[in-house]
Amino acid sequence: MMLAAFAQPVFDSQRTFRELLQAMARPALPRTLPIVPPAPAPIAPAAMAILLTLCDSATSVWLQQPDEEAMRHLRFHAGVKLAQRPEEADFALISDPGSMPALDVFARGDLRYPERSASLIIQVAAIQSPAAGKGGSQFAGPGIRDTATLHVEGLHADFWPQRAALAEQLPLGIDLYFVAAQQLACLPRTTRRLEG
Amino acid sequence: MNYNFAFLDEDTKRMLRRALLKAVAIPGYQVPFGSREMPLPYGWGTGGIQVTAALLGPDDVLKVIDQGADDTTNAVNIRRFFARVAGVATTEHTADATLIQTRHRIPETSLRENQILVFQVPEPEPLRTLEPREAETRSLHALADYGLMHVKLYEDIAQYGHIATSYDYPVLVDGRYLTSPSPIPKFDNPKLDQSPALMLFGAGREKRLYAIPPYTRVESLAFEDHPFEIQRWEQQCELCGAGESYLDEVIVDDHGKRMFVCSDTDFCGQRRAEASA
Repeated sequence: MMLAAFAQPVFDSQRTFRELLQAMARPALPRTLPIVPPAPAPIAPAAMAILLTLCDSATSVWLQQPDEEAMRHLRFHAGVKLAQRPEEADFALISDPGSMPALDVFARGDLRYPERSASLIIQVAAIQSPAAGKGGSQFAGPGIRDTATLHVEGLHADFWPQRAALAEQLPLGIDLYFVAAQQLACLPRTTRRLEG
Repeated sequence: MNYNFAFLDEDTKRMLRRALLKAVAIPGYQVPFGSREMPLPYGWGTGGIQVTAALLGPDDVLKVIDQGADDTTNAVNIRRFFARVAGVATTEHTADATLIQTRHRIPETSLRENQILVFQVPEPEPLRTLEPREAETRSLHALADYGLMHVKLYEDIAQYGHIATSYDYPVLVDGRYLTSPSPIPKFDNPKLDQSPALMLFGAGREKRLYAIPPYTRVESLAFEDHPFEIQRWEQQCELCGAGESYLDEVIVDDHGKRMFVCSDTDFCGQRRAEASA
């Protein structure tokens, strides 16, 4: 039997959007999603909340693990187009970040239209804001007063070097939504990870 | 007749929401969007209204100002529109609002991190009066080639001895995109820099929206020997005595008698209430 989506689509997606907007405007600061709908594996409920809030027939979604049940669920509830290849995706759902494709596979926009770029929803093991000196990476950029500390668990070793390489192409780039349980943290292309 | 919550249909809201998130991710860049026909004509804030509609939830408290005032036609109509199609609470107090839609001012009262400011924008392209072709201005932004604007400001200095632009004064956001702050007086430009509140801009006729995230560097263009300066008045507000706020000169009788008053009616009202208390 198919799972339900948002119980109140209009209000649940509005509340979710406001959290997404604040998360994108204040990068590397974890926030709690107000509503997480049921979701078939391998889609996490928090990722499903983002997909239901932002995606419809005008967007193409690429699933890293294209499970039959998950695809049917997304098509039915959001009417999305499913992309066959990651470079075609407006939104990409990364359900196994350990084996995700290289970041430069995804669309980064072009200089005249930098917004025509992919948004990645990455399901990670944990997102934390550790106290200073207790691990995690330092981030700076628009939306961050001084610096912010964030620890993302479950990414492969090449992830941060790949993302740092993309920074040379600004304002082109990809925007990241990390989710773990009901937690959300965003890293837009403009957020720099500070070394050391 | 029945409308969806906040007037716009859900497909339109999702389109606006996706565009707003990209706008925040690329500070100062104008994202095209499919502007809808609204029950107000272009020029009455349709861009701001659509952005507000995409944001608004039942728990929001909405404030709308027009040139700083809560009680002018445009502000009253937009506030009444959202009270009717979304049933949201409205306020005239800056501190009580979660969402503030504005035409051409930034409130005098400092904004907080949990507030969002939505600007109505007539012309989002700061280079438009210098270069009418959209294809060309898009290339100039792609190349970050803003020499035209510097020449324009220089010509002001050559002709008048100072930069004569007093409103819609161009800014550079995060050191990258030349951006119109909308026709706010340049008095308000310093409030754009490192603002605690997120600022969103909507232009309905021109079908563009853009954003300045909180805590973002926003510089008003200037020259080393002609630094950026804001307006100053010799007068003080004749109602509340404020000396640091933006003043409007208004005619008060048939004989041309004038007075200077705060443009921000809420700020002025609060100060008078405090003074008489």
